[in-house]
Amino acid sequence: QIHPTGKLFVLSDGEGKHATVELSEPLDEEISGVLEVVGRVTNQATIMCVSYVQFREDKTPFDLELYNEALKIIHEFPEYFPFG
Amino acid sequence: GGGRPLPGGADGAALPLQRARSQNIVPCTVSQLLAAEQVDETFRIRDVEISQVTIMGIIRHAEKAPTNILYKVDDMTAAPMDVRQWVDTDEAGGENIVVPPGTYVKVAGHLRSFQNKKSLVAFKIMPLENMNEFTTHILEIVNAHMILRKNLMAASRAPQSFTSGGIGDMGGYGGGSLPVNGLTAHQSQVLNLIKNCPVPEGMSLQELKLQLHNVSMSTIKQAVEFLSSEGHIYSTVDDDHYKSTDAE
Repeated sequence: QIHPTGKLFVLSDGEGKHATVELSEPLDEEISGVLEVVGRVTNQATIMCVSYVQFREDKTPFDLELYNEALKIIHEFPEYFPFG
Repeated sequence: GGGRPLPGGADGAALPLQRARSQNIVPCTVSQLLAAEQVDETFRIRDVEISQVTIMGIIRHAEKAPTNILYKVDDMTAAPMDVRQWVDTDEAGGENIVVPPGTYVKVAGHLRSFQNKKSLVAFKIMPLENMNEFTTHILEIVNAHMILRKNLMAASRAPQSFTSGGIGDMGGYGGGSLPVNGLTAHQSQVLNLIKNCPVPEGMSLQELKLQLHNVSMSTIKQAVEFLSSEGHIYSTVDDDHYKSTDAE
């Protein structure tokens, strides 16, 4: 859901856990559905958003739980999926 | 009546690029591509040879030039990668539409390195219509690199067991510098797989069958029984799991 000021919204991840995302500028568009947020974690455990993109779901819905499972798997194999 | 004549020469089947070796097309992360080592014309990621790759990411930047379009594709594993797509100047429209930044795409292309900077030359750039393909792609990356590496490790050992044991012959070749360990090719292969299994409970018969798909289960069982009676391996949790006696 989106906060009235438009500078904050709450996302729910593939496990049903919630994350608060803060923006430096208020939202200038309607957003809904699945978002991918790139940002930094703050010490209040919120995410300071650098950029976001809305996933296309016009043809097929995105399976967020499955994506979450895939993420867990790739983290188990850093030798085959290195991060930077 | 006849069909339409093939465009181009009489051949009609020629590929635009000829490669001396046949290649797999390997899904990769940008971080893997940047870390790939180059020896002459060949790139390797952890010893696995790669040439044609696929990556999936979001377009951060697109720049159109007369003969090519330069994209920067970001998959979040490293800095965005340069992806160049050559433009067919003879063709009007169609192929030359620039994909806008903010779009998730799948890129298939060749890895290149110029002045120590890596880039891709794309032969196909497809915007994703179904974001679940992204989930598939990241799993395929782990799967492909794991299997390619396993094949590489298995292939580098099997020939040695053939030469040292003799093909289907106990006792092997006499003398020489090759170690004669009195094992047949199958027994050597089974022993090597068991030796290299990192799991505490050892290698199972099912796992051996998976790794040695062209060997029958009865042959594997015979090999295991022989190795066990000779003391090369021992059973662990049950008669289906074995570990090597000379572990590293």
